[in-house]
Amino acid sequence: MPNTPTDFPFARQGGDQPFDRRSFLDALLAVGFVSTAAAMAYPVARFLVPPPSGEPETATAVAGRAAELKPNSGKIFKFGNKPGIVVRTAEGELRAFSAVCSHLDCTVQFKADTSQLWCACHNGTYDLGGNVVSGPPPRGLEAFVVNIRGEGTDAEIVVSRS
Amino acid sequence: MLLLLLALAAAPEANNCVTCHTTQQDQRLARPAVLFSETDVHRERGFACIDCHGGDPTTPDKAKAHDPARLFKGKPVGQAVVTTCARCHSDAGLMRTYAPRQRVDQATEYAASVHGKQLAAGDQRVATCVSCHGAHGVRLVSDAKSPVFPTSVATTCASCHADAKHMEGYKLADGSTLPTSQLADYRKSVHFAAMTRNNDLSAPTCNDCHGNHGAAPPGVGAIANVCGTCHAVFAQKFELSVHSQIFDKGCVECHGNHAVLKPSDEMLSATGHGICVPCHNGDDKNDSGAKAAVGMRGDIEGLKTRLDQARSLIAGVKNSGIEVSDDELALREAATKLTLARTEVHTFEPARVTEVIADATKIVGGIDQAGQRGVAELKYRRRGLALSLGAILLVVVGLALKVRQIDQQHR
Amino acid sequence: MTLLQRTIVWLDERIDLSDVRHFVAEKGVPVHAQKVWYYLGGMTLFLFAVQVCSGILLLLYYRPSAAEAYESVQFIVTRVEFGWLVRNIHSWSANLLIALAFAHFFSVFLLKSYRKPRELTWVSGILLLFLMLGFGFSGYLLPWNELSFFATKVGTGIAGAVPFAGKFLLRVLRGGDDVTGATLSRFYGLHVAILPAITTALVALHLLLVQRQGMSVPIAVEERIKQGERVPQMPFFPNYVLRDVLAWYVALALLAALALFYPWELGQKADPFAAVPAGIRPEWYFLAMFHTLKLLPSHIAGFEGEQVGVLAFGAAAAFLVFVPFLDRRALQGRKSPAFTIVGVLGLLYLVVFTIIGHYAK
Repeated sequence: MPNTPTDFPFARQGGDQPFDRRSFLDALLAVGFVSTAAAMAYPVARFLVPPPSGEPETATAVAGRAAELKPNSGKIFKFGNKPGIVVRTAEGELRAFSAVCSHLDCTVQFKADTSQLWCACHNGTYDLGGNVVSGPPPRGLEAFVVNIRGEGTDAEIVVSRS
Repeated sequence: MLLLLLALAAAPEANNCVTCHTTQQDQRLARPAVLFSETDVHRERGFACIDCHGGDPTTPDKAKAHDPARLFKGKPVGQAVVTTCARCHSDAGLMRTYAPRQRVDQATEYAASVHGKQLAAGDQRVATCVSCHGAHGVRLVSDAKSPVFPTSVATTCASCHADAKHMEGYKLADGSTLPTSQLADYRKSVHFAAMTRNNDLSAPTCNDCHGNHGAAPPGVGAIANVCGTCHAVFAQKFELSVHSQIFDKGCVECHGNHAVLKPSDEMLSATGHGICVPCHNGDDKNDSGAKAAVGMRGDIEGLKTRLDQARSLIAGVKNSGIEVSDDELALREAATKLTLARTEVHTFEPARVTEVIADATKIVGGIDQAGQRGVAELKYRRRGLALSLGAILLVVVGLALKVRQIDQQHR
Repeated sequence: MTLLQRTIVWLDERIDLSDVRHFVAEKGVPVHAQKVWYYLGGMTLFLFAVQVCSGILLLLYYRPSAAEAYESVQFIVTRVEFGWLVRNIHSWSANLLIALAFAHFFSVFLLKSYRKPRELTWVSGILLLFLMLGFGFSGYLLPWNELSFFATKVGTGIAGAVPFAGKFLLRVLRGGDDVTGATLSRFYGLHVAILPAITTALVALHLLLVQRQGMSVPIAVEERIKQGERVPQMPFFPNYVLRDVLAWYVALALLAALALFYPWELGQKADPFAAVPAGIRPEWYFLAMFHTLKLLPSHIAGFEGEQVGVLAFGAAAAFLVFVPFLDRRALQGRKSPAFTIVGVLGLLYLVVFTIIGHYAK
């Protein structure tokens, strides 16, 4: 069995005054250790909690609610840091493309009167397959895969890279 | 008689033309036969030498084979070439059986072209059908090895038009010599780059602006229409401007005809190397055109500067860990507006450019605000760090004192 | 009794702690002019612990595939709370760790602490140094940005210059003929599983040996001891430990400040089909070696220059591993100026060539 008081390296020796420098220093250190431990634990704890956006939006993005996209209309949405466009054809089919015009990177828009994707900058036109119909664009628009997630009025349009 | 000859021609065995000509020493006689035996669109569809040259392919005897009585025509030259080709190619009924979508008005177009008119006037130096398409070894236009495949058109035209000796004596409408620098100029252009580097076969080459068979320079007043077939928006804007009434050469006045280079904002200036300089004087205070140039250019440069500033602000903030994808999207929108502003310049009305720039400035303002919020977030982090460092300092000082205390105790 | 004391009694009743208590009470650290170098080992260990902790945190969000690696790092830095802090601490601590490991290595070398009876400590230490470099090299690829992709391409290309086994080595390192997602998977496995496992074992051995054998003293001090002089000892607990902890806190403060004021850049996502950017270089700790290889002529004595270079570095590495057995004089406890000179020259070479490599075009 150990002899308790003297065997321990941190054993107290003396110091009966109401205030001694030693215990003040110990208290100071204790406060310091606790606060630095908290300063380290707090970021770690916050880090561990998953952020609201869930996961890296590398390959998928939510393009809005399915019920809000009427036939023969289109909507711009954010795909990573580039714009995308989701279109509902007159027959009700959903299609999505990159909204970055292949000519000079302007953002294209949906034109309901011609049911085509149109770039306002230099009049580039694409059909609903992403192919160039007329104008300066050298290449078509990249097509994405569209899925519906959920049911009823809350169903979401989920766009992902093919 | 013709039907009998055609029937005989259809039989592949009886083609003494080829067997005799390919063995000739003289390359001028041998080569056509060799070429025709290789890839040739006409031969592949069942046509033979006699369909253009006449004669008798069934006999190895030269005199009999080349008998004019057997409709031997020899080598067609000049107008005879056009007639020979047009015999089939202007026959809509015939062409429908081989290539229903192909046009049948090439000969008519050709007659309206500079080449056709010169030929009618007796000039044998001009191009005819075979000059561009070849006579033997003809390939479809869509065949990459054809001399009139889009990427080869310029070199084919240049085989005459860049040859100073061949073009000697030809003059422009105003009496000056016809230049031979078109190919060299075209090779510097963005159109050439688009076709060769970006493999964009829809990029213009000689025939897209001058026409194929009806080849001629577009002519005064027509240029904006020609460029406008692709650059529709610019043509529309230009149509609204004062310059459309003044410029003879439309788009070409500022952008050149063959050496069309990538335009830059530096062009928009009435001083130094700006293209407004020949007509406008930047030093003249009464020159409203020069003032307009200054106004438009100032607007655009201002937006560019603000865009660059916004970009670096966002990039810096992003690097420090702030989420900025919405702002990057907005930067894109602002950059789109810059492109639109440059398009609007072609109306040559500063007010319209200012309007577009104003939209862009609003967007950039929003981005700046977001950037400032990011900077504020960074400041907040620094405060957090300062607090932590304070706590650490406390511990460090405490430890240092404790160490001293324990050391003293130890002694 | 305090809570601490009561806990120790409780444990002692169940697992005999008398050895531990004896050790804690008796262990001392010699006090002399060179004792400042003693702290380097502990600092290196501390930074390694920081790496393990921050690495584990990053593991929770990182995705080791070519399609997602860059985006996941971007996600960590921009979306995860304090993600910027964890990632930047990890990147900065990596560099500080390697710098300190080298400092520790050089101080041990120049003080000849590798001599008998500490040969095994030295060998395990040298292997740990190589492992740290391996961590640095494998970890550098993981963000999958332009710089890291091409630096890895160049670095693994050099591995291909090893004679005979070069081609094989290159394929094994890259997981194929080129740097691809397969390389990323492989490096990830190395970085989070293989290297940590080996390192843990070696660190345990290294620490066990250090604790059992105590701290080595410089030869001059040893000679003074032989002549009967008593070298003062500082108790390990608490005097030395508190000093160690002090140094660790300073390091932590430095890391936090660096993370905030000099954040590591995200860079551009790697594009395997893009051209190699001009002036591509590895990280600073490989710069001396890289630049030396660049300066070598294309052929030396009939062999390919790069092969000779790689072989030379291999020989140098082997020399370092076996140094305790080669330094006869130190083995006998005598001053060994020849090896001191070799050490100083080695240090100078590394410093000079790192600087030249940094400023070279």
